Amino acid sequence: MPETLALVLTGITSGYAGPAVLTDVSLSVGRGQLITVVGPNGHGKTTLLKTISGLVRLRGGRIDLEGKSIAGLAPDVIAARGVAHVPQGDLLFPQMSVEENLLMGAYAERAKSVIAERLDEVFVRLPKLAERRKQIASTLSGGERRMVGIGRGLMMGGRVLLIDEPSLGLAPLIIEQIYLVIADLKASGRSILLVEENPARVVDLADSIHLLDNGAIVWSGPPAELMARDELLATYLGG
Amino acid sequence: MSASTLIAILTAGLTNGAVYALATIGLSLVWGSLGMLNMAHGALLTLGGYAAYTVVTTYGLPAPVGFVGGIAAGALAGAILYGAVVKHLLKQPSETFETNVLIATVGIGIALENTILLVYGGQPFRQPTSMDGLLRIGVTSVPVQDIVIILVSLLMMGVVGWILARTRMGRAIRATAQNREAAQLMGVPIRRVYLQVLMLAGALAGICGVLVSSITQLSPSLGGDPMLKAFIMCVIAGLGNLPGAVASAFGLALIEAFVQFGAGARWGFPVLLLIVILVLIWRPTGLFGRAAIRRL
Repeated sequence: MPETLALVLTGITSGYAGPAVLTDVSLSVGRGQLITVVGPNGHGKTTLLKTISGLVRLRGGRIDLEGKSIAGLAPDVIAARGVAHVPQGDLLFPQMSVEENLLMGAYAERAKSVIAERLDEVFVRLPKLAERRKQIASTLSGGERRMVGIGRGLMMGGRVLLIDEPSLGLAPLIIEQIYLVIADLKASGRSILLVEENPARVVDLADSIHLLDNGAIVWSGPPAELMARDELLATYLGG
Repeated sequence: MSASTLIAILTAGLTNGAVYALATIGLSLVWGSLGMLNMAHGALLTLGGYAAYTVVTTYGLPAPVGFVGGIAAGALAGAILYGAVVKHLLKQPSETFETNVLIATVGIGIALENTILLVYGGQPFRQPTSMDGLLRIGVTSVPVQDIVIILVSLLMMGVVGWILARTRMGRAIRATAQNREAAQLMGVPIRRVYLQVLMLAGALAGICGVLVSSITQLSPSLGGDPMLKAFIMCVIAGLGNLPGAVASAFGLALIEAFVQFGAGARWGFPVLLLIVILVLIWRPTGLFGRAAIRRL
């Protein structure tokens, strides 16, 4: 039933110049689901998200967003179609205020009323950003920046949200706060594809986990099952 | 120093500062958003000056139309520069792009300047797009055209500032300048942004060309001196820093005017170069610059 699937990747191969980084990767994100890809660093997790959003060239396979192919489109077209990518390391606009960063998220949306609605929603979910509204992004703390990155992704109003390592470089307490926000987003019915290095963080959250190693998916299943498989954790995640 | 001398020096300094500032923001805008040092900027200035001349002299239209003609010619040249050259060079990785686009625009600048030489000849013309007359200020009087230049330049800086700060297009330009990849992820069509930036810079160059030729004269090498000064302003302010570029342009033009009065006209330029050398020694990223940050 394709209409219940937000995002479907079928046998995608992609990479930069040189050999392919990803080979024959297939996965799907159902509406309202949170799907997680875990795996060691440098094995293609970020490339996977960048391929979906069009920053890395797709060499083979299909990518369908709500039943329509987005393969081979330019990044700005893919974003306008409804892929909201919260990139690794936030990639904020450093000299812009928090509010301007958030408004950039709604760049593709022209209706002022819709933009104002989304901004209100972001401030409800991330009240800290309302306080910091006028502050320049480069002066924020790491946790605040991550929240701006997620808020900017929400401003895009996408059909599917891609989140790349939301815990990267943050203190444990802040990571907990960020994951509360992500749980809240899932509860609100958003379709999310999340990339994470540590599967323990998503055990209670993910509908399904894919283990990505050396550019290919080597195991897929429910999170509890992965946590029970010590040999998988030891082999791929050094746990 | 008498009051009338002081007013004369200030007028000269502010008029030159206005011209330098316009030339500088065009250059700085393109660097800030594309990482492109546009060596053809001076030739675009010249083109704008001659376009205004042709509209007024050949077609017999009034001076304001000539002014608009100068702006349009600059913007059009900017669009052609993007479509014919920059668009294709942008497909290369950024390190090779920066070098290649510099060399390509040097060539385009030389070609454009020689085309103008071929079409109009080398003899200088008077720019008809200007205002005659003197304005009485206290004990002395200053040329109306100088006042026009200062006002037009301030107006254009206001317009550019407003576009960048307040419009959707301006926010997209700044976003692209600050993080190209993130801007793409937000749905910004960066190619269109680059086209807009080059057209805007071309229009500014066109205006600057009309203004500078109105106080000197039209010749194929018209744009050379303002562009050289614009580079100096950019180095001192830090490339890509627009408010800094404007401040440097007015500050240095005033210094130049006072040096020329005090020590003789030939000392103006060497003093500017000396300031550049000192800034490069002590503040390599510019007086207002921050290391490795492009800001718009």
